[in-house]
Amino acid sequence: MLLEFELNGKQTRIEADPTLRALDLLRDVLGLTGTKEGCGHGECGACTILVDGKPVNSCLLYAAKLQGRRVTTIEGLTVADDTADGAEDGTEDGAEDCGSPWDPPPLHPLQEAFLCEGAVQCGFCTPGMILSAKALLDQNPDPEEREIEEALSGNLCRCTGYRKIVKAVQKAAAELRSRGSR
Amino acid sequence: MKLEKLNVVGRAVAKVDGVELVTGRAKFAGDLRFPGMLYAVARRAGIPAGKIRSIDTSAALALPGIKAVLTAEDIPGANIIGILPPFDQPLLAAEEVRYEGESLALVVAESREAAKRGAAAVWIDIEPWEPVLEVDEALAEGCRKIHPGGNVTFSKRLVKGDVEKGFAEAEVVVENTYHTSFQEHAYLEPETVAAVPGGDGRITVYASCQSPFHIRGHIAANLDLPASRVKVIQAYTGGSFGGKDDVATEIGCLAAAAALKVQAPVMIAHERGESIVGSNLRHAARIHYRTGSRRDGTILAREATIHLDGGAYASESPFVTMKALIHAGGPYHVANVQVECTAVYTNKTYCGAFRGFGVPQVTFASESQIDELAAELGMDPLELRRKNALRAGQANATDQVFEQSVGLVQTIDRVAERAAEPGAGAPEAERNAGRWLYGRGCACMLQGISNGAEGIDVVGASVQASQDGSVLVGVGLTDMGQGSRTVFAQIAAEVLGVTMDRVTVHQVDTDSVHDSGPTVASRSTTVGGMAVYKAAREVRSSLVKMASLMIKCEEQQVLLQDNFAVLAPDARRAADPEVRIPLREVCTAAYWTGFPLMNLTFSRAPDANFDHETHQGNIYIAYNFGTHLMDVRIDRLTGVVEVLRHLAAHDLGKAINPMGVEGQVEGGALIGFGMAHLERIEHRGGCIQNANFADYAVPSIKDRLPTETIIVEDPNPTGPYGAKGVGEPPVAGTAAAFANAVAAATGIRFTSLPIRREDLLEALQGRNGGAAAEVGS
Repeated sequence: MLLEFELNGKQTRIEADPTLRALDLLRDVLGLTGTKEGCGHGECGACTILVDGKPVNSCLLYAAKLQGRRVTTIEGLTVADDTADGAEDGTEDGAEDCGSPWDPPPLHPLQEAFLCEGAVQCGFCTPGMILSAKALLDQNPDPEEREIEEALSGNLCRCTGYRKIVKAVQKAAAELRSRGSR
Repeated sequence: MKLEKLNVVGRAVAKVDGVELVTGRAKFAGDLRFPGMLYAVARRAGIPAGKIRSIDTSAALALPGIKAVLTAEDIPGANIIGILPPFDQPLLAAEEVRYEGESLALVVAESREAAKRGAAAVWIDIEPWEPVLEVDEALAEGCRKIHPGGNVTFSKRLVKGDVEKGFAEAEVVVENTYHTSFQEHAYLEPETVAAVPGGDGRITVYASCQSPFHIRGHIAANLDLPASRVKVIQAYTGGSFGGKDDVATEIGCLAAAAALKVQAPVMIAHERGESIVGSNLRHAARIHYRTGSRRDGTILAREATIHLDGGAYASESPFVTMKALIHAGGPYHVANVQVECTAVYTNKTYCGAFRGFGVPQVTFASESQIDELAAELGMDPLELRRKNALRAGQANATDQVFEQSVGLVQTIDRVAERAAEPGAGAPEAERNAGRWLYGRGCACMLQGISNGAEGIDVVGASVQASQDGSVLVGVGLTDMGQGSRTVFAQIAAEVLGVTMDRVTVHQVDTDSVHDSGPTVASRSTTVGGMAVYKAAREVRSSLVKMASLMIKCEEQQVLLQDNFAVLAPDARRAADPEVRIPLREVCTAAYWTGFPLMNLTFSRAPDANFDHETHQGNIYIAYNFGTHLMDVRIDRLTGVVEVLRHLAAHDLGKAINPMGVEGQVEGGALIGFGMAHLERIEHRGGCIQNANFADYAVPSIKDRLPTETIIVEDPNPTGPYGAKGVGEPPVAGTAAAFANAVAAATGIRFTSLPIRREDLLEALQGRNGGAAAEVGS
């Protein structure tokens, strides 16, 4: 069928098998391999994408369900994000130098915070984790620790022990709030 | 190594590969695409034991999209895999099924879905045998032999002093039997490889893996190719923890065999269920332990008998056996120690390396014993540990003496200081009066760094400076997420005086560095870091020589820092105090002068030297020592455990990247907590019942610990800048401290891990839990 939806800010039209999983449509047809498959049963959250701003396990979703929706994947976070003053000035403005290896591409404050707080080890859970956190912060710019915990409870990480992930989300929340108030 | 001012080493830095990871641009093996790529799925036995009568592939071959079906006959070489002797695992079994995950055939198809349908359509006729499932059953006389040599995989003894004499002199003796269960690695990325036939007679395999050289060797042997025709490139690897070794060789060989047969790229990507059933677990253990001391707490003798359930194949059981054996005595100065450790075959998923490598199991038993002894003696548990703690100059259980870098007492002291600070515990008055039971547990541990008794320990590294002053580093050990690339970049940057943004550490490519063996034993920073240090020093000498010619000064007057060659402060002449030559100019000049800008070297750790009958002698090049303390409260109505405080102190010689150290400690701690409280592989009739993340409880963010990392730095002379590894140690410390905290809170000594919420509830309600005994009774 002809699928039409907004993908990372761009209208996308594609003829695709509607019984594909959304995960496979993104990875195999559209080439967006930032979305990962960890379990295939909606138990680990590695394949989290945002559909109309809400976190969804793309391994449990038929591609047809994306029809007419607004979809965000990790690749969409670095291009044109919906932060208060755009992402173009992401690294120059308010971002700290935490020893990034080279001039990084413009990063979303969540990506910056995950990097600088050491909330990434192997990085396989990271795209899904960051998208779940973004869905939370879009709704709730100043979450309590319990709310962060709740929002990320569907995303497993085996490497970090999660402490630095919580810190990174708190730090990104503060950064986004300060941008919003400027 | 003389003390020097450090610019990069010792600073908390972000991961050098972090940008790719947070943006989703990093290519893991499953993200790779090659023109015409096919997918392969194995047909597994599904029953734990039996005689293979026949395999019929015709129905599978008739399905749409199927390109080929391979069976044992299609493996041109040895058809054997395994990390160590005895190499005992068939790549594709043809005779016998030894565990439910046994691969009998490999179906190659246009898509993963087609390959799965094809695998289901392979007709297998197996005469089922009664599986051998328990250790005692396997060891019983007359039991069916799982392998021709019998059911003992490996058995060793450690003998120090005379334990009988020690126990005869002891005034207090405690004795108990402990159990730990199988644990799954549960890295988020399931095992994946892609094999690509080249047009040059070679084959390239991209793998999510831990030990690329193992894969290269096994592919060569199983495909009957010279190893020089096989190239293995490590893709970004989504966690491993010991797990992506055997299984990566298995699927690497299978994908390569399939790729050569159909002359097209072939990917094998495990699903989660296969990842749990078809790759190694942490050994389940039974440990009988006895400890004797004087009334004053001086430990005189320790004796342990360990049985490890290793499942169907040897995998790394021989080395896990040795590591458990060597560490069972604990981090104490004890004159008489005797340990026997035996790994046993059963018809279950095989066991092998998992972060800690036998040490978490024995540490749980050993540290439970210390607490039981403290209770008998009426001594403070931490005091008893301090009294017996190994110190520099004292012999450990293998009679090895370290004159330095034995920081155990410092870890105890730092933990005691921090624990005395007011913290998250409840007010004293509330303690154990109401619904919540409060308890504090501590544990000391040690973990050998380097391959040690397991054989030679060499790591290859290459360092090359380009004319623009940037630096490329290659190391034969893999970064699976733990951050070793960052550590290697820091070391190269420090030696060469360049900033981190000028250093690139490429992923392992077996073409480019010396065979460095497996990435195991917390040895990357220590042995791998030393290799980078040595190679970088060689390149540095070219740069310093060139700079001295350019500045017209002595070589020892040159400093390299922040991408410049400068004069050392004491050499600065009044005439030209501001000499600063950009390193890119030095590098360019060195190139045109003909000075070498690349060095390929390897670092060899001091060899182990010990008696193989008694395991007495010098085994590891260093030990990481640690002390953990945990405060918990337990809801007596529901069994819910809350960890209120977790202190984790480790002597790691020198923290090259303190943020990386915290990450290793926090992450390792949660794996230890999972082992101690949440995770349990459930078998029925030899088959795993919970091979998914709904039924197997991987800790979630709600289970995270309030871990406070305490870094103790007692420099290790065999590591770069004094460093020693920290990857594995936090697992053992956390698991053991948890068990002791639960015992302190409940008054019940649980002797089996995990101590789950339901186990606690049952024991608290009945005070008669099967595996529990009242403390002091």
